[in-house]
Amino acid sequence: MRILVVEDEPKVASFIRRALEEESYAVDVCADGPGGLDWAQAVNYDLIILDLMLPGLPGVEVLKRARAAGVKAPVLILTARSEVDQRVKGLDAGADDYLTKPFAIEELLARARALLRRAGGAPTGILQVDDVVLNPVTREVTRAGQRLEFTTKEYALLEYLMRNAGRVLTRSMITEHVWDLDFDTFTNVIDVYISYLRNKIDKGRERSLIQTVRGSGYMMRSDG
Amino acid sequence: MRTTSIRVRLTLWYGSALALILVLFAVALYLVMSRALREQVDASLEEAAAVAIRTLGEHRFGPFLIFEDLSQDFPEIALLDKFFQIFGPAGQVTIQSANIQSREIPLSQTSFRASLDGKSTFESVQFEKGVPLRLLSVPIRQDDQLVNILRVGTSLYPTERMLHRLLAGLYIASPLALLVSLVGGWFLAGRALRPVHAITQAAQRIAAGDWTQRIQTPHSNDEIGQLASTFNDMIGRLEVSFRQIRQFSADASHELRTPLTITKGETELALRRPRQAEDYRVVLESNLEEIDRMSRIVDELLFLSRADLGEIKLKMFPVQLDDLVREIQQQALVLGQERKIHTVLEAIEPVVVQGDDLRLRELLLNLVDNAVKYSQEGQTVELSLLVAGNKGKLVVRDHGIGLAPEDHGRIFDRFYRTDEARAHAAKGTGLGLAICKWIVEVHHGTIEVQSGVHGGSCFTVFLPLAPSAAKV
Repeated sequence: MRILVVEDEPKVASFIRRALEEESYAVDVCADGPGGLDWAQAVNYDLIILDLMLPGLPGVEVLKRARAAGVKAPVLILTARSEVDQRVKGLDAGADDYLTKPFAIEELLARARALLRRAGGAPTGILQVDDVVLNPVTREVTRAGQRLEFTTKEYALLEYLMRNAGRVLTRSMITEHVWDLDFDTFTNVIDVYISYLRNKIDKGRERSLIQTVRGSGYMMRSDG
Repeated sequence: MRTTSIRVRLTLWYGSALALILVLFAVALYLVMSRALREQVDASLEEAAAVAIRTLGEHRFGPFLIFEDLSQDFPEIALLDKFFQIFGPAGQVTIQSANIQSREIPLSQTSFRASLDGKSTFESVQFEKGVPLRLLSVPIRQDDQLVNILRVGTSLYPTERMLHRLLAGLYIASPLALLVSLVGGWFLAGRALRPVHAITQAAQRIAAGDWTQRIQTPHSNDEIGQLASTFNDMIGRLEVSFRQIRQFSADASHELRTPLTITKGETELALRRPRQAEDYRVVLESNLEEIDRMSRIVDELLFLSRADLGEIKLKMFPVQLDDLVREIQQQALVLGQERKIHTVLEAIEPVVVQGDDLRLRELLLNLVDNAVKYSQEGQTVELSLLVAGNKGKLVVRDHGIGLAPEDHGRIFDRFYRTDEARAHAAKGTGLGLAICKWIVEVHHGTIEVQSGVHGGSCFTVFLPLAPSAAKV
């Protein structure tokens, strides 16, 4: 899951980034309105967290233009103002949810999860492929009831695969959704992480859930 | 508890006073009137008696005077509404006028005795079922001998009737007048109190939160008008301080939200899981920075709001501004040390202004601190202080990020920060220049800024020189 944070106050952007990264999301941070608009259009983000008070271009304007340009990602707006009309303007401009500053970090994460879940179409939030169960809230993964442990990046990759179970995911899609802008696309990091996941999930099982689609990418599905 | 309204009380007071006046007036009128009427009756009796005596004298006095002769000679006597009686010296009736008819009106003992003594007497008599009469008995003497007693009488009926009518009129008219004036008083009191009602209503609307309400004062300078304008002044002042307090809390909550978001967010994030000691140290340092920022915002806001309310007392003395500028330049060197920003004194002349030493220091420090803050590494900040006419001219110039022309008018506004300034120095509060402007203005000076984007900023302050007498 890749998230864009558009926030001009460096410290706020920084702790939001760290919190999201600890939840294994890939995070890009942008500090001004025009930049945020460019990035939202350039990368297919799973969620955009947008501050309304931005230099260069107000957040509401960024949102309107991004929606007009066809950006479909759910948007969570942050506002320093508790005034109702700011929130209304933001929601009317195409935001999916809002949070007023100062907010609790757990609430920000819960709302982010809710928006991602809604976009992914799983109402309970618990993802399941065959006997692999992933709970995004507790970040627990089990296979056949047996607890599995993952690193942050492995977990992020697994969550992305499970959210899109049954679909072929190309390397560039995986790059966009699991890694952030610092990622070097010419390395074989994705293949390495896929093999880590296979080691933990499929090794020693009769059915392999993570499949390689030759020439295209990877797919996770139950009917092995 | 609901007390009787002023309107009712005014009307009642007014009514009672008027009722008292009316009663006194009616009594006096009646007394004066009845006295005047009686005197008139008596006067006419005396006149008639005089005429009669003169007439009798022209004829002759004697017991053989016949009224018919008299009335033949003086027909006007018969037309008078009076009757005549002439008594003999023993008190017996000798002649009486026809209009007395058969009624017996004997001479009273008092009159007879008075007549014997040669005195006239007035009497009022009322016979049973008869009309009240007024009688005048005059002795007619000849050669010191009582010859006749002339009595002239008249009915008091017309007089009584007149007085009765007057009384009746007063009985009816007084309550009527009282009623009319009570109604009028009620109306007038209402009219006089209408502005008070308007004041009450305005006050109620203000109490409900509508501070724009004012009382209309068409009649300018009467008591109510003065009350209304005093009230309006008061509301005006209240509105200003109310608005300032509201502005203060809005500004404060808005500006405090960012540091609060940061401290809350970073602390919560740090507490989500066990971390290295170094990580906690970083969070605490960052939080301390934000706490310092919040206290600065609160201090500056409090300063400005106290300044707005006129609570900041200035101690105005002659201040040697050039000394102050030199001192601040030394501080600026320390401020810029880390980023190698050098503050130089371009030109300096002795300047003495009348002012508050502490505030002027704050002004200079704010301007120089800004100049250093918005300069790039290795740049210089230039200070100069010159005499320009009757003013001291202080210039603080930097070569930093500068200002767009559209920001010139607004940078002295509270919390106004340009995007550049926000990006450049997150620690600013957006209040420093507002405070500078206030300090310059309380010293009767002016402050202005010139700059172009990326051409640096140049702040010029003009302060009036202290009167030459103070230069010693």
